[in-house]
Amino acid sequence: MRFEQYYEPKTTEECIRLLEEYGADCKILAGGTDLVPRLKNKIWRPQAVIGIGSLPDIDTIKVDQNGLELGACAKLRKISMDPSLAKDYKVIMEAAGNVSSMQIRNVATIGGNACNASPSADAIHGLIAMGAKAVIAGPEGVREVAVEDLFAGPGKTVLTRGELLLKFKVEAPKAGTGAVYKKFAIRGDTDISIVGVGCGITLKDDGTIEAVRISLSAVAPKPIRAAEAEKLLLGKKLTDELLDLAAETAENNCTPITDQRATAAYRKEMVRVWTRHAVKEAYERAKSV
Amino acid sequence: MEGRIGKGEKRIDAYDKVTGKGLFASDYVNQYPVLAHMKALRSPYAHAKIKKLDLSKARALEGVIYIMTGEEPGIDWDQYPKASIIAKDEALWAGQMIALVCAETLEIADKAIELIDVEYEKLPAVLDYYAAIEPNPASVVDPEYETRPLGFSDRPGDRASNRVSPNVVGAFKLHAGDVPAAMEKAEVIVEGEFWTGKKTASPLECANAICRYDSDGGITLVSNGAGVHGVIKQGICRILKMKESHVRVIQPYMGGSFGSRLNPYVEIITALMCLRTKRTVSFQFNREEMFVGAPSNWPCITKVKLGAMKDGTLIANDYYLAEEIGACLNNTFFSGRLSSSGVLPVYRMPNLRMDTCAVATNTVPAAEYRGLGCPESEFGIECLVNQLADELGMSPVELRLKNIIDKGERDPHGEVITSIGLKKCLQSVADAIQVDETPEQDMGVWKKGRGCAVGGKQNTPLGRSEAEVWYNSDGSIQLFVSCDENGMGATTALAQIAAHEFGVPVSEVKVTKGDTAITPYDNYSASSRTTYNTGNAVKLACEDAINKLKIEVARVYGIHPSKVEIKGKKAILAGSYVQEVEIPPLFQPTSMFTQGNWGLQKGTPVIGHGLFCPAPIHQWDENGLSDRVWNWFQYSAAAVEVAVNEETGQVKVLKVASSADTGNPINPKLVEVQIEGGVHMAIGFSVNEEHVFNEDGKIANANFSDYRLPTILDMPTCENVHAFINPDPLPDGPYGAKGMAESITIPVGPAIAHAIYKAVGVRVNGYPMTAERILALIKEKKAKEAAE
Repeated sequence: MRFEQYYEPKTTEECIRLLEEYGADCKILAGGTDLVPRLKNKIWRPQAVIGIGSLPDIDTIKVDQNGLELGACAKLRKISMDPSLAKDYKVIMEAAGNVSSMQIRNVATIGGNACNASPSADAIHGLIAMGAKAVIAGPEGVREVAVEDLFAGPGKTVLTRGELLLKFKVEAPKAGTGAVYKKFAIRGDTDISIVGVGCGITLKDDGTIEAVRISLSAVAPKPIRAAEAEKLLLGKKLTDELLDLAAETAENNCTPITDQRATAAYRKEMVRVWTRHAVKEAYERAKSV
Repeated sequence: MEGRIGKGEKRIDAYDKVTGKGLFASDYVNQYPVLAHMKALRSPYAHAKIKKLDLSKARALEGVIYIMTGEEPGIDWDQYPKASIIAKDEALWAGQMIALVCAETLEIADKAIELIDVEYEKLPAVLDYYAAIEPNPASVVDPEYETRPLGFSDRPGDRASNRVSPNVVGAFKLHAGDVPAAMEKAEVIVEGEFWTGKKTASPLECANAICRYDSDGGITLVSNGAGVHGVIKQGICRILKMKESHVRVIQPYMGGSFGSRLNPYVEIITALMCLRTKRTVSFQFNREEMFVGAPSNWPCITKVKLGAMKDGTLIANDYYLAEEIGACLNNTFFSGRLSSSGVLPVYRMPNLRMDTCAVATNTVPAAEYRGLGCPESEFGIECLVNQLADELGMSPVELRLKNIIDKGERDPHGEVITSIGLKKCLQSVADAIQVDETPEQDMGVWKKGRGCAVGGKQNTPLGRSEAEVWYNSDGSIQLFVSCDENGMGATTALAQIAAHEFGVPVSEVKVTKGDTAITPYDNYSASSRTTYNTGNAVKLACEDAINKLKIEVARVYGIHPSKVEIKGKKAILAGSYVQEVEIPPLFQPTSMFTQGNWGLQKGTPVIGHGLFCPAPIHQWDENGLSDRVWNWFQYSAAAVEVAVNEETGQVKVLKVASSADTGNPINPKLVEVQIEGGVHMAIGFSVNEEHVFNEDGKIANANFSDYRLPTILDMPTCENVHAFINPDPLPDGPYGAKGMAESITIPVGPAIAHAIYKAVGVRVNGYPMTAERILALIKEKKAKEAAE
């Protein structure tokens, strides 16, 4: 594990300047749980490593009446245990708590889980289910991107040279909103997901579905939304038949691969099983608030 | 002082290990101020021609000391452990060494590996039995089988002839009774084909060796390999032509083996590098190398046909078995005979036909793995016995109790069973889980079922164990042995034996272990034999020392030695003017006036020596029959309650009971933890663990993240784990004890398979019983039901 320079900028401006200067020749260190193994195994050989832990408010977890702000360096374990999230943002806690082992969650960050852009990332699905936005700072200023639009492919984000993920913003949920993330792995949390399904539902007073977001993990080159399944559900009351149909639609609209963790066929089948569970549970939660 | 046998004494290494103060072999990297490091370049392809191998840039790198390839002069690779053979012209599995670098630092070695210019031409590969057994397979792993010498095998019957495939590289056949006639007579027949996956033992400490070059041309090797004398030292002397006086092998604490470290795949090659470079060299495997470069188990494919009468009496077994042995050339112990050995000692079987073979594949070579093929080979039989019970409407417990062989009977080989406590084992686990009762279905999509199975395994006679014991002049005891301490606690049991013999607390016995320059010969610890073999040697050594001590004490008091009894530091005298005497003061300090030219002297121990060796086996006849092939048999029964997720196919073991027939246990506490560990391991390989290959035939899950070893969360909770000891004393074991650790892993898998059947109605016919496979069976069943 060798690199020429290590920086730990104190301001966002300084950090952006360094990122611009080095471009693809630098890597950002947040928690390091993805970076360090890749440096050790020489998969990445950057000239510089830029630690962002000293940037102001970078590990903030802030809840107020407008919503939630999660700094990019907020630790997954902290997020998964923060009582201020328990009421409105439980799904974000759950998804963060589903990443790997406790030892990893102690150091890994929510921003890292996003920027690593693994197709099987878990924590970001809590954010997607809640319609979160990623706040990105760069040489041209600050921009916001929906979390599901942050990804360009395996290991790739839409961040351009000089850009830095600062934080996530989630608006306070409307009444009648429930969300859930279901991770499916053989040995519980420790394993990387075979599939993951996130779902956020907002119900109208009459019990019809006003808004729905279904996101899928580990079944495509990047996290995806099950748009057709969402469309089916929108404006309707949830019935068992509708649930089955939505689950089947989600299954049919994903293109997983076969790898050492599961075959493509099994993954597709599990998308159906877990979409059904996720939608049902999100719906139950929405009804209960 | 009461006896020490049958007591749950604290492990003698507990404090050292729990506090982290004890040195494991891998800690020795920090014990040498100057150390050269070895690193291997390994083939990424299961089968490939090495078109180009240019070392010039790597050799030119500063700090590179030596690079070895398959072309290394003066080497007869046929003699080397399979996994340490460096490829020459062709790589035979993904992970085989192409070049081995020795450099001043690990970083330089890594850099040198990158600088090696190598080009491969990918060739067709056979990755499993089914591909390898074709008459015209895509790859013939060992084209020279017909002409290759059988290594140092002493079993002429193992040579395969009339081979159905050129990848068949060993055979063993047995026919007792008349199977075709018995099948005619049978009222019920059940049959099936079963396979078990390829897996890696995964001890926590990766394999490693450090070899010091001594100034006199000798070497001192420290490693976590097993068998300091019989395997490593003898291997080095034979293969590297070293003088016995100049090879010293030391085994510090070893971080597990499960059989996998019985193969000296690191030691011999490290010693070779040490001799070539005249440097102290270190070779430390990483976790990936433990999968791709260290031996796996051997998967077994079995085709089993059982014939029975309507009352449940088994009368015939027609049994085919193939061992998948990977890229093992110079086949030294593969023929199907070892795996199929477990078929013999469990059930009374008047008619048995076994047709077994070994099949080579382009995968990592196979070698010993806990159970030596028995968990793999007995799976099919146990599954079919359960199926037979279902078809006859009998309890699987009752069916087994009817057929389990009794003490004094002969197994189909013709050997007498000298110790078997299996019926009691089965009864105890069946009672604990209430295996004949149907559990309440109260877990939604998780359906519950219960199942049971039994298993037996031979103990192979594996040669000599010696022990030395010192009765020191202060009355403390020292024990010197060379058995392996894989972690099972054998040294504690041995210390208990010595403590018992001398009548002292275990804390009075200091054990020195595993150093060929100090501790006496032991072939190696395998086949669950340490308590039996080394244990008998320790008992003999103690008896020898006690006899000598009696003579010395008797001489001081002018009585016959038979009138002396040793009880720790005291001697009890009969017929003397004193009744009891402290022994340590009898050891006289050296003085100018006595010189100590006779009798007990301060500072000099009374030394006892013990040697134990099982009787030789007898060559079997043309039908594979012989009255002595193995030694004795260990048995285990298991019962489980599992839950199967109908939607995902996942299996969760909710309750498990496991029982061992240990003979009289020396330390019941250690036996219990062996049972628990064995159950955990068996849950792992029967439910989750297997090698998954990528398109190049390389193991794609060669890490602990994707190779699903069970975690503590995969074990049932404490109150749902039951361990029972049901001893049937072994007549020739120390105090009636015998080994047990391998048998535990045999019945767990088939018990789970039957529980799955009871839960969701599908019969699984292989290991591992992964979620995907079970879900596929559930869907198949539903589709079939829908069609009807």
